[in-house]
Amino acid sequence: MGTQLRLRSTKILLINLGAIGSEVVKNLVLGGINSLEIMDSSKLKEEDFSSQFFLPDKPENIGKLKVPLVIDQIKDLNNRVNLTINTATFESVFDYEDRANDYLSNFDLIIATEMPKAFMIQLNSYTRKLNIPLYVAGMHGMFGYVLLDLIKHTSVVTKDMGNQPRRPNTKINSNKLISDVSYDEKEKKENITIIDTYKPISEMFSSKELPNQLNRRQLKRLSAAFPLIFTLFDVEKPVYIEDSLDVDMLREKASLVCEKHDIPTAVITDEYLNFFSRQAFTEFAPVAALIGGCLAQDVIQYLSKKESPINNCLIVDTIRSEMPIYVL
Amino acid sequence: MVGAGGIGCELLKNLVLSHVGEIHIVDLDSITLSNLNRQFLFRQKDIDKSKSLTVAEAVEAFNYLNVKLVPHHGNIMDSDLFPVSWWSEFSYVFNALDNLEARRYVNQICLYLKKPLMESGTTGYDGQVQPIYPYVSECFDCQPKATPKSFPVCTIRSTPSQPVHCITWAKEFLFAQIFDETSTNDQSEADRANQRRKLESETEDKAEIENMLRENDEFNELRNIVKSKTSTKDSNFFEVLVNKIFSTDIERLLRIDSLWKSRRKPTPLRIESYTKALKELSAERSAKDIVVDETRVWSVLENLFVLQAASSALHERLASSESFISFDKDDDDTLNFVVASANIRAFIFGIELKSKFDIKQIAGNIIPAIATTNAIIAGFSCLAYLNYFNQITSSDSFHKAFSSSSTIFTSIRPNKYITSAALIEPSKKCPSCSHARGILRFSPEDLNNMTLEGLIQLIRDHYGFDDDISVILGKSKLIYDYDLEDNLQKKLTEINGFKAGETLLIQDESDALENLELYIDTNTSGKTLFPTLKLKEKQMDNDGENKDEDMPEQGEVISLDDDEVVELDEPVETRKRGKESLDGSSKKAKL
Repeated sequence: MGTQLRLRSTKILLINLGAIGSEVVKNLVLGGINSLEIMDSSKLKEEDFSSQFFLPDKPENIGKLKVPLVIDQIKDLNNRVNLTINTATFESVFDYEDRANDYLSNFDLIIATEMPKAFMIQLNSYTRKLNIPLYVAGMHGMFGYVLLDLIKHTSVVTKDMGNQPRRPNTKINSNKLISDVSYDEKEKKENITIIDTYKPISEMFSSKELPNQLNRRQLKRLSAAFPLIFTLFDVEKPVYIEDSLDVDMLREKASLVCEKHDIPTAVITDEYLNFFSRQAFTEFAPVAALIGGCLAQDVIQYLSKKESPINNCLIVDTIRSEMPIYVL
Repeated sequence: MVGAGGIGCELLKNLVLSHVGEIHIVDLDSITLSNLNRQFLFRQKDIDKSKSLTVAEAVEAFNYLNVKLVPHHGNIMDSDLFPVSWWSEFSYVFNALDNLEARRYVNQICLYLKKPLMESGTTGYDGQVQPIYPYVSECFDCQPKATPKSFPVCTIRSTPSQPVHCITWAKEFLFAQIFDETSTNDQSEADRANQRRKLESETEDKAEIENMLRENDEFNELRNIVKSKTSTKDSNFFEVLVNKIFSTDIERLLRIDSLWKSRRKPTPLRIESYTKALKELSAERSAKDIVVDETRVWSVLENLFVLQAASSALHERLASSESFISFDKDDDDTLNFVVASANIRAFIFGIELKSKFDIKQIAGNIIPAIATTNAIIAGFSCLAYLNYFNQITSSDSFHKAFSSSSTIFTSIRPNKYITSAALIEPSKKCPSCSHARGILRFSPEDLNNMTLEGLIQLIRDHYGFDDDISVILGKSKLIYDYDLEDNLQKKLTEINGFKAGETLLIQDESDALENLELYIDTNTSGKTLFPTLKLKEKQMDNDGENKDEDMPEQGEVISLDDDEVVELDEPVETRKRGKESLDGSSKKAKL
C-alpha cells in the first residue's frame, strides 16, 4: 500500500489545539490525512491570538469554546478531510478506564500537545494497552519538545551503500536495531529493516541513559533546555501567562532533575534560567512551526514505514540552533 | 519577501505572527492546482489569481497584530517595477524563491545596497537557511551552485530532443494525467485560462498552444476510460492510448509547420504494423521476462508489450481498489508504464532509447517538494531574522550578527534533526562579492548628453584606473576596450541597452586595480553621483591558494554605499570553514 493510501486510511486524534496543534493539523491535512478528530475543551484566551492562525480575528470570541471557532478554517484547507471535534474535558473521558478505552480505540494514532504530566502519563498507559502510537509535544517560548511512545515499529529504509555494508543485528542505539539488510548490488542500494522499540513516557522522567550516549565533553556542554523542559513538567502553569516563574525555585528543581538523569548540574546557566522563567508555557509562532513541522513529518514517515521515526525525545533549542534527539 | 510559494506562505505566516512592522511580498506567479497541497494559504477558489495578492489577503484572516502588508505582482528582476530606490526602503530581504536566476539577482542587489538577506531553499526532506550579511559573510555566489535541471513545457510536450525530455513527459505529464490524483477531470474555466497563460508565457506559437490544450481534453477522456469500472478485459484502453499518444498527437504536431523549420520531424508510430508481432510476442512464455531485463535497451516491440502489460495492470488496480495511483519508482507497474511510453516517444522523435535501469535513475531524481520541510525551514528563516534584529543596536551589526548566526540544514539522524554551522567569510574568488561595486546615479541631463568617452574619463578620475580599461555593459556586451573605440563619441543613450537597471563592469586590463561593477540608476533630483569607493590593488594569484583561508586583511575597504566608505579595522575571527559548530557557545541570541 502506498504512503498516500496509508495516510488516507489513518484515523488520528489530536488532543489540544494550541500553537503546535495548529501547525500539526495544517501539515497533516495538507499531507493527505483524511480523518482527524480534535479534542479540546479549552475556552479562547487572549494569548491564543499570538500564534494560533486558525482563529478568526474576533476578540469578542474570548471566553467561548475554542475548537468550534476554527473548524471551518481547517476544513477550508481540504474539503475532503473528515474532521470531527470533541469538547469534552480530559477528565470526563480519561478518569474512567472503560470510557477511555472505548474512545481511544477509535483511533490509529494519537498526538497530544501541551499536556500536564499526570494526564500525559495516564493517556500513555491507555495507549500502551491499546497498542496505539502516541506523540506528545509542547513548547516554552524559544524551546520545545516531542516525546514519543510508538511502542514498536518496523521500517524498511533504502540507503545508498556506504564503504562498509550494514549488517543485520547491529544496534544503532539502545532502541534502534537493524534486524535485516538486503543488498541491491545493481543499484548500489541497501534495504535496511530497522526495528524501533519504545518505552513508556513515565520511564523517561527517571532515565539515566544520557551519560551513555554523550561523551564527557558533550555532557558538559549539554544545553540546559533538556533539564529545564523536564523541570517544567513539575511546575504549575501560571494563571497569567506573562508572569515570570521564580528563578530560584526553577534552579532548585532543575538541579534535582539533573541529578535524577545523571547529568552535571553545571549545565544550568543563569541565562537559560532567565529564558525559562520568562518564557515558560508561552507560545511563539516560528518555534511552533518548527515543532509542528518535525512532528507532522515524523507522523507521515512513521505511516510510510520507509523511514525510522524519532526515538524517543526531541529537544528544540532555537537559541543554540540545536535539535538533539535523546534516547531516554 | 521575494516569492510567495511553498516557503513563502509559511514564512509570511511566521512573520505576521511575530509582529513585523511592514512586509512587501513580490511574486510573478499565479496559483495553480498543484500548489494547493503544500501552500496552505491558497484555496481552490484562488486558482489563477496572483500569488502575492492572494497571500496578502489570506494572512489578513489572522493578522491579529495589524502588520502592514503590501503585495506586488511582478518579476523581481524587473528594474522598472523595482528600481534601487524601491529596494533601499527595506531593512531586511527574504528570498523564498525556487529558481537560481532570481536568487542571484536579489543577492546582487543586496550586495549593492548592503542589505541583510536570508536565503532559503528545500528539496524533498532536505532544506537550508543561510543568512547573508554582504561582504561580512559568504554571499549566495561564493559557493558555486549546481544548475538544477528543469525544462520548458514546450520542449516536453512538443519538441523533445533528449531522453530526459521523454522521461519527464511520460512521468510528469502522461502518467500524472491519466492515473494520478493531481489532475482533475472537471477542469474549470479558470484552470484552462491559467494553463493557456502559462503556455503563452513560453511560446508565441498559437497553433502549438491550441494543440496542447486540446491534448489535455483528450487525456480526460482516457482518464474516464480507466476510471470506468467496466471489466478491464473488455476495455480498449491500451489501443485508444497508443493511438492517441503515438499517432494522432504526433500527426497533429507535424501539422504545426513552425515547430519543424529547424528541427527533425517526428515519425508517427504505425500501430497496425506491430499488431501481429505484438500478439505473437504476448503468446510467448518468455515475454514475461522482458520487464526484469533492466539493463538491456528494449526494442520498440518489447516496449509496446511492456506498455500493454503495465496499462492493463494499472487499469485493473484502479478498477478494483485504488482511487488513484501515484508514480513511484519502486512500484513496478508505474515504472514499466513510464519506461515503455518514454522509449516509444523517444523512438518517434529519433532520440536514443534507454534501459529500464537508466530510466529508473532519471525518473527517481525528480524530487517532490514537501510541505513539512518548507514549514521547518520557514520557521528557522524567521527565527534567524529575529536574532539579527536583536543585534542591530550595535553600529557594526553585520559583524555581530555574523558571529551569532548559523547556516542551518535539516539532516535527520538518530541523534539530531538539524545541523547548524557557523557562517563563513566571503570567498575571495567569489564572482559577485570579491570585487568593488556601487550605484552610479546619473542626472537625467548627463544620461542624455554625456558621451561614453566623457563617462570613461570620469571613471578614471574617480577611481584611479590608468588608460588600459575595458567596459562591459550588462551580462556580456563589451562597449569599450583599447581596440574598440567605435562607441567613444556616442552619447550614452545611443548605446544599445545603456539604461537604468543595467550594470557596467570596469576591468583594469593592466591588472593593477580590482574590478569595479557599477549599477546604473538615475538621480532625478540633482547631479550625477559616483559611489565613493577605494579600489583595492589586485592580488596576484601566485600568492598561493592558502591565502583564501587565512585571516582577512585588516583595514580592507569594502563598502559600497553611495557616499560612505566603511573601513573594517576590527579584527575578525577566523572561522573553521565548513565545519559543523559542535558547540553553540558562540550563540548568544536573546529573545
